[in-house]
Amino acid sequence: MLTYAMRRLLGLVPVLAVAVVLTFIAIQAIPGDPILIMLSDQSADKALAARLRAEYGLDLPLWQQFLNYIRGVATGDFGKSFRFVGVPVIDVIKDALMISPVLALAATALAVPVGVIVGVFAALRRNSWADTTVILVLIAGISIPNFALSAFLVFIFAVKLGIVPVAGWGTLEQAVLPVTILAVPPAAYIARLSRTYMLEVLQQDYIRTARAKGLSRRLVVYRHALRNTLVPLLTTIGIIFGGLLSAAFVVETIFNIPGLGRMAIQAIFSRDYPVTMAIVLLFTAFYALINLLVDVLYGVIDPRIRLGGGPT
Amino acid sequence: MTVQITAPGFWQSEFAVRFRRNRNAVAGSIIVAFVVLVAVFGPFVAPYAYDDTDLLGTWAEPSREHLLGGDQLGRDILSRLIVGARVSLLVAISVLSITLAVGILMGMIAGYFGGWADGLIMRTSDIIFAFPELIFAILVAAVMGPSKLTVIVSLSIVWWPGIARLTRALVLQLRNELYVDAAIACGTGPFTILFRHLLPNIVAPLIVRASIGVGFIVMAEATLSFLGIGVQEPEPSWGGMIRDGLVGLRTDPYLALFGSMALGLAIIGFNLLGDGLRDLLDPKIRDR
Amino acid sequence: MTKLAMLNSRAVLIGLAAALALAGAVEAKTFRTNIRADPAMMDPITYSEIVAGDVLDNIYEGFSEVADDGSIVPALATKWEASADNKTWRFTLRRGVKFHSGREFTAKDVKFTMETLMTPGMKGGLTTTYLKKIVGADALQKGETKELAGVKIVDPYTVDINLVEADVLFPIYPFYFMDAAIPAEHGADWWSKASAGTGPFKFVHWKRGVEIKLDAHKDYWGGAPTIDGVQFLIVPSGDTVLSMYDAGALDFSFLPELAMRRALKDPRYAKELISVPRAQSRYMGMNQNLYAPFKDKRVREAISAALDRDAMIKGLFNDAGFPLHGVITPGVAGYNPNIAKVGFDPARAKKLLAEAGYPDGKGMPPLEISNPPDFKDEITYYANQLKRVLGIDVKVVTVERATFIKAMNAGEVPFFPWGWTAGYPDANYYLSQMWHSKSPYNRARYSNGQYDALIDKAQTVADPPARFKLYHEAEKILMDDWATIPLPIPAQVALRKPNVKNVTMTSYGYSSFHKIEIQ
Repeated sequence: MLTYAMRRLLGLVPVLAVAVVLTFIAIQAIPGDPILIMLSDQSADKALAARLRAEYGLDLPLWQQFLNYIRGVATGDFGKSFRFVGVPVIDVIKDALMISPVLALAATALAVPVGVIVGVFAALRRNSWADTTVILVLIAGISIPNFALSAFLVFIFAVKLGIVPVAGWGTLEQAVLPVTILAVPPAAYIARLSRTYMLEVLQQDYIRTARAKGLSRRLVVYRHALRNTLVPLLTTIGIIFGGLLSAAFVVETIFNIPGLGRMAIQAIFSRDYPVTMAIVLLFTAFYALINLLVDVLYGVIDPRIRLGGGPT
Repeated sequence: MTVQITAPGFWQSEFAVRFRRNRNAVAGSIIVAFVVLVAVFGPFVAPYAYDDTDLLGTWAEPSREHLLGGDQLGRDILSRLIVGARVSLLVAISVLSITLAVGILMGMIAGYFGGWADGLIMRTSDIIFAFPELIFAILVAAVMGPSKLTVIVSLSIVWWPGIARLTRALVLQLRNELYVDAAIACGTGPFTILFRHLLPNIVAPLIVRASIGVGFIVMAEATLSFLGIGVQEPEPSWGGMIRDGLVGLRTDPYLALFGSMALGLAIIGFNLLGDGLRDLLDPKIRDR
Repeated sequence: MTKLAMLNSRAVLIGLAAALALAGAVEAKTFRTNIRADPAMMDPITYSEIVAGDVLDNIYEGFSEVADDGSIVPALATKWEASADNKTWRFTLRRGVKFHSGREFTAKDVKFTMETLMTPGMKGGLTTTYLKKIVGADALQKGETKELAGVKIVDPYTVDINLVEADVLFPIYPFYFMDAAIPAEHGADWWSKASAGTGPFKFVHWKRGVEIKLDAHKDYWGGAPTIDGVQFLIVPSGDTVLSMYDAGALDFSFLPELAMRRALKDPRYAKELISVPRAQSRYMGMNQNLYAPFKDKRVREAISAALDRDAMIKGLFNDAGFPLHGVITPGVAGYNPNIAKVGFDPARAKKLLAEAGYPDGKGMPPLEISNPPDFKDEITYYANQLKRVLGIDVKVVTVERATFIKAMNAGEVPFFPWGWTAGYPDANYYLSQMWHSKSPYNRARYSNGQYDALIDKAQTVADPPARFKLYHEAEKILMDDWATIPLPIPAQVALRKPNVKNVTMTSYGYSSFHKIEIQ
């Protein structure tokens, strides 16, 4: 088990390495001179520009900049921010660091139970009108983009009813809308899957046997069927997390939440590449780690894939 | 010598019958047909030019002159939604064509030839898969600068590996079929085999995949435009309209609400239709 | 890891809630206001942007300062005199001024600040520009020497500044003098731990993305402030600003443009609303070298006459805007209240364009109007209006801000609206920087020898009325030639709680916080 986890962990290294190289190439390819945005209206001052360029090492040949970048990333140093002149990237992002993952976790914590309950509910009433309605709602949940959903929910709950704040971060009330909006697509996704899995499980012989033995329907569903439905759901957690991290870009921007997503958008628009790239790398690493964790956990739960495919 | 085969009418075919029984597919196709009709013919019947500003009528409420109200420059929201449908579909069709062409070609090469070509193509797709989709698209958009072309290119980059992987898996399944061996034995060239013999047999699942993709692409385009790195003024994009509308949500909610409705409805339509097609065309899940 | 993350966020939530509660209850006399973003820096040397300026204005001072009515009053200097040729300025410094460290402010601090600004590697920002005419500035900037030869300490309270050429405006330049001993005591990032100014408030801390906190400077030379401190809350979203103001979390809120509409539309804010014109000259730049039809004065005037400024003020600025008819904005010394009005006249616009050889826009080469994304609505309107009135096809292009500024500075943008915010309250700022042919910020590359000569001459005329007369002549040259098209200026809008006294907005932003009272 441990060797499998280790092997997967090592497998991440080349992927992340390529991600680092790609982000460096992206930095170089982005149009616009970062020094000029630092100078703003002083941008005609050539001497000042030259001094800043040297300070940031941007006057070095490209290969040397590349080596510096690699060395920095390897030691956890992402360089200095372009927007906050002279401030290390780490200091800029450290307060925002955990907010996006926390939002993603809170949304997952909300989405999984809701999704499973709705999915099982629909499966048990297969092909009824309730089932059809649920499926329609689920498709809507997956389809409506988070910013469009935000428009509706903010309008109804914050503007018209005034029961939650329009935006901001720091109180529980302020977290209600963004977490809910983040949770809708994964909840709908999970509900669809659990409906399908449930239907599949209910067809299995052992369930029929259990029912035939006279066990109550409720017991069969909750003791046997549900458990076997949950296991395959685990594999989707990785996909869900990827979606949530992406959604954080939009939802944090709309709700003025000081997380990494909003910071990345601001950094992109102010051409603060070191911050942008640090966040992209962090998100990618986080995404990869979650996927790895899910795979390993899955191996623990389902012994059939324990050895990663190799015959032993 | 020709044999005349009388095909049964389409509406009597098994496919059509099953399709009509699938309520979601029918609902989806009605919505999609409506969006497509609006996109194709709408601009000819739109009440105003989509870029016609009226600063004395900014944020106008819905009225007889402006059925859905006016936006932040006093432009007619209805007219902009109609032209926005065309922009959305254009992006979706472009991305689909590019990703299908590139993805199928890459997938077939990887699956049929294997070896280093397979390794190269699959590792490239691994790297793209390592980033969350939207984040990768944003990165590409940041490099290229905001425009409609940027949207098409960045979405194509994140979307082709999925098609390639599916194609590769399908080709691998069929590679050892008798008719492929027979073709090879006859000295048929690899590309003839790929396009003549294999492609027709893998087309159905690819159509399913593509139809499910339309919803995603429309949503991704709207998201990029919402973030300001997509379609640019004065051309309307639903995502951009929603962004401009959110600013006025408290005082003047019509732009955000109508924009969201149009976008949500269109994506729901595409997803319903995609789901329906999957149920009908994908044999593995046919009887679920 | 998951659990830890949860705990962290809860700690953050609880901490924030506690901070908010404290701000509400215990520090009732702290003045709370909002800034739209983190400042880019918090030290007076690298200082180069507006948000940082809003905060630093309360911590640092220069020779003089701008009073609420826009006039210049003495600050750290009590008196200044020029030599007959206006090339040497003698400043008499105020006695008994205490830095936040408790040390006394003297001439050595003036010299230290100026030298630091010009020293290579110190990243001197905006204020560096004002020092370029000092004798020896070049040598210091090139690293040939460590001293600024033109700054002479006569005695601890007298300093002489020698200039290469006359500059009558030197005393009004907004400097931020700093405590010379601070960097040695606290190291290179002293600004994050220490407060080095003489102003009414001292720096306490900056929590990125959250707030900047200042405390009252009890030994302030102008008398201790009556409030305990100032809290600048960092709030980028306009909606949040209003919610916080409504909830009583802000005493005074400087509204972002996107929140203005809501505040202006809602009658309950009427009594708390402050609206003043900005000291920002807005104009349409037309580069005659890049687009041939702009060489014809009639085309330039036609474009001006095609723009409906009243509609812009109503539609784009929600009625909170002011028309501009020249280059100099109202409230800035040298403004000409009698300047001829510029108006919307579609018939005349069409006629002029036809006379220039482009009836209904026919024969005009392709034209692009460009700006950063923030101004996309404005340029979209111009393009549509020029099409409607004149039949000219104009393509709308948004360009990322840094790239755009670079292109403008290089004189590569043919057609663009822009604004230039006054750095000091004298019209010279606009006239010399925007339209003098030698200025790097003459972004439309207009060149007129007669105009240049008037501006050069004005810099040597110390008597304000005489100088203003030269300004008015120069401005008339620009307007008669349609070198520039004045555009309306959006107002600065703020909300002030009724229990807060002695603070307002001026054309330059916040008024001084020194005398604020909270009842």
